[in-house]
Amino acid sequence: MGSLLVIGPLAVPVAAACAYAVLGWNRATAWLGALSAAGVLACAVALAATGGGDALGGQLTGDALSAYMLLVIGAVALLAMLAGPAYLAAELAAGRTGPRAMRRYGVLTQSFIAAMALAVLASSLGLLWVAIEATTIVTAFLVGHRRTREATEAAWKYVVICSVGIALALLGIVMLHYAGTHAGVTSLGWAELTAHADRLDPGVTRIAVVLLVLGFGTKAGLAPMHAWLPDAHSQAPAPVSALMSGVLLSVAFYAVLRTKVIADAALGAGFARTLLVIVALASLAVAALLLLGQRDYKRLLAYSSIEHMGLLALGAAVGGALALAAVLLHILGHGLGKSVLFLSAGRLHQAVGSSRMDAVRGLTARAPLLGGTFGLGLLALLGLPPFSLFASELGIARAGFAAGLGWAIAPALLLMLVIVAAVCRHAGRMLLGDSPDGAVATPYSVAVPLVAGLAACAALGIATGPLHSLLRAAATIAGAAP
Amino acid sequence: MVTGALGTGLQVIAVALGSPLLVGVMRQVRARLEGRAGPGIGQPWRDLRKLLRKEPIAAHGTGWPFRAAPLLVAGTALVVAAVVPLVTTVSPLDGVADLFAVTALLALGSVALALGALDTGTAFGGMGASREMAVLALVEPTILVSVFALSIRVGSTSLGQIVTATVEDPLAVVSPASVLAAVALAIVTIAETGRIPVDNPATHLELTMIHEAMVLEYAGPDLALVEWASAMRLSIFLGLLSSLFFPVGIATAGAGVLAVLLSVLVLVGKVAILGVLLAAGEVFMAKLRLFRVPELLAGSFLLALLAVAASFFLA
Amino acid sequence: MTDATFVQLLDLACGAFLLTAVLVLWRRELAAIVWLFALQGIALTALIVVLGARQGDVELILIGLGVGALRAGLLPYLMRRALVAGGGGRETQPLVNVATSLLVAAVLAMLAYALSQPLVRLSPTPATQAVPVALTVLLIGFFLLVTRRRALSQLVGFLLMDNAITAAAFLTTSGVPLVVELGISLDVLLAVLVLQVLTTRMRAAFGGTDLDELRELHD
Repeated sequence: MGSLLVIGPLAVPVAAACAYAVLGWNRATAWLGALSAAGVLACAVALAATGGGDALGGQLTGDALSAYMLLVIGAVALLAMLAGPAYLAAELAAGRTGPRAMRRYGVLTQSFIAAMALAVLASSLGLLWVAIEATTIVTAFLVGHRRTREATEAAWKYVVICSVGIALALLGIVMLHYAGTHAGVTSLGWAELTAHADRLDPGVTRIAVVLLVLGFGTKAGLAPMHAWLPDAHSQAPAPVSALMSGVLLSVAFYAVLRTKVIADAALGAGFARTLLVIVALASLAVAALLLLGQRDYKRLLAYSSIEHMGLLALGAAVGGALALAAVLLHILGHGLGKSVLFLSAGRLHQAVGSSRMDAVRGLTARAPLLGGTFGLGLLALLGLPPFSLFASELGIARAGFAAGLGWAIAPALLLMLVIVAAVCRHAGRMLLGDSPDGAVATPYSVAVPLVAGLAACAALGIATGPLHSLLRAAATIAGAAP
Repeated sequence: MVTGALGTGLQVIAVALGSPLLVGVMRQVRARLEGRAGPGIGQPWRDLRKLLRKEPIAAHGTGWPFRAAPLLVAGTALVVAAVVPLVTTVSPLDGVADLFAVTALLALGSVALALGALDTGTAFGGMGASREMAVLALVEPTILVSVFALSIRVGSTSLGQIVTATVEDPLAVVSPASVLAAVALAIVTIAETGRIPVDNPATHLELTMIHEAMVLEYAGPDLALVEWASAMRLSIFLGLLSSLFFPVGIATAGAGVLAVLLSVLVLVGKVAILGVLLAAGEVFMAKLRLFRVPELLAGSFLLALLAVAASFFLA
Repeated sequence: MTDATFVQLLDLACGAFLLTAVLVLWRRELAAIVWLFALQGIALTALIVVLGARQGDVELILIGLGVGALRAGLLPYLMRRALVAGGGGRETQPLVNVATSLLVAAVLAMLAYALSQPLVRLSPTPATQAVPVALTVLLIGFFLLVTRRRALSQLVGFLLMDNAITAAAFLTTSGVPLVVELGISLDVLLAVLVLQVLTTRMRAAFGGTDLDELRELHD
């Protein structure tokens, strides 16, 4: 049973991808993607409830942290896939896509979900690397889906920068393996490396950890290797942007979390903490600076993702039960909120025909639902109650001050204040006021995931409910003392 | 000791008398490959004899640097010919045959010539001098660094000891450090002696010439000295290359008189072969545009540096 | 194989590996760069085979030959095809001139030696002592990637980095586990194919592969 639940999240999307490859995209198969995402979500819930298992001779392991990440993947993928058919229908109506491109979209999005599931279920660093590189390759074509100059440019930058980052991570893995073989650990499995981390050579491990954090950090959109992110996220089709921003970044961050567990055991808490604080503050500063003068609402969302990845890195640097649970909750809350926003932005782009902010005026008057979800989504991302990001940001800040990292938390809070001011200014212009243009209709199939995502995000902010024990178990694996 | 002194004497004589012949051989090879009859290998000597018979004359307005330069170039070339291990590794002047001293002597010659060219105050002189200095700025460090890479293996900067060590263990040359150093030294040899693709000894085109621009104002015996000295420098560089990387037949400590004589013949043979190869290569190569020359030299410097790194870290 | 021969062969393979990287930085013609990359693949193969022969490990030799087939055969073939299809622009246009690039490479070599000291110290065998060479090639590859404007030369920069990582893996631990090795090779191949497709699209959209044209997206 356990092994079936571990294989399931891989098998379901792969089967769906095969189905798309054979049948193409039509009225019947359009909802297959959502069905497969629901399957992944169901497997994740079952895995969390049964307490995990492993498969394929130990290559795949589903522990609490994996199950939690799988839950995030399933939830965000479900939202994105539900909005997919309406998005593609509108693209088709506008003549921007065709049957072949839609078939490819179906195959690639499902492979993308499968690759992310593989990444979080992999029981070793090596397989995790392969899975994350596979997400780059699959999403490259999704980013360049529209084949315009901008999309091609974004795809090129995306592949080159991410491949280089991932190559650095590979070198880090090689170094860790080298340190491991000299400490008598011949496999790259998490369990073995963590168990024998105290025997790893500190000098070599230090190099390996820097390379791994930089490398996986590239894929997670952390500064200084973030340059690809705004381009790729603003050029990809909206459901893909939602997936990339909502979960792909977090999956890469999951790799950083796993690395930190080994680093802390081998080098003490100080080394990884310093590294992550630097990266976190740099990411927040980059996001704050570039959000101030932003003129494109999709890029605004992309920079906000950099900000949130910075917050996650800060939380991971703090460490401890509260901070790590808050980090994990933040991953889910950000995934839900950001996917709602990217889906709204995608609909908005289709309606207005431009992603420039000054093309959008008085959105709440023109399209109350779309304006409402966009506005509420932004408030959620800024960390206002009742949304769950309020709780998680508060948790990270409290744990940070308690751990004596006030010197890092204080500038971070200041930068977040700048971001709040910048986003509020931009959002006010877009959302409020009168509009000269006509109304924008929002189909039900788009409206349902938007509202559901916001509702889930708000509900999580009020009570974590059944997630509570899973969060605690996952935080324990991520390095919190039980 | 006696054979050492004999060898040293012989190698100075061989370089002094043989180098114009080497230039003659190279010109003849080029001529034949280009389908010309060629003037014969004795032509450089005949040119020198003709120039020496002429009345000494200095350009108007030149001072002592102009007159001293040919003597300095020829003098340093002769001293270097005496101290580097070409025929024998046990020269009585062995203490002088230090890597740094030899490089400095060669640089002294080049700088003297450049100063002499500047002293003429003509456009061509200044242009040639500035180009020569640009080349020299990268050539000298490369020579130092690449020979230094070879000296690490031996633990001494004396050229004689480096060559001796290579004679004792010829296979040691097949290491990354030696190979990289060999490539770097070959490139700087070409640059320093003014051959294609860095400079063309047969041209007087102002756009490209380096060496010829510097000596444009010389005439008579002075010109003869400069030409003779540059021929000697070419022979010394080729001889040094062959000694450092292929020291077969060189007379080491305890060699007899016969071995020293044989060693002279081997040296002549090796240098002649290198010269023929160089001349043949020049026929098939175009001269680099002047602004590409620093690229070539920076590359050879990098190779030399990597050779040092390799000899420190590998092995 | 005696110790001395082993060390000499290993060092020669490493020297060739490094030399090809330097020459890639040096040459401007894209065709020559692709050739040099193939030569580097051969040097890498030789390196792995020497290590395998030393350890009497047939599996390692076979892996080495597989790596060679990919790095010296398939990838250069794909790149040459892209080069022929591309037409026009046969030279790289470095942002930093070649002479400066070469001097920078000298600095990078020193940096690589300094950085790899902890690695060598852990186990000073002839193989690990050659790790600085691999790191130098890695940095040179990164430098190429940052300073070259043609799509193909960026690709070569990326592949140089990848070759360097493979070399480091074999020099330190005789390679990562086989499953991972296969996955890595497959991923590299796919990444190259993706970039090839993108190059074709770029040519269609921009009329060339000069990356300076890529300036639609900025803040």
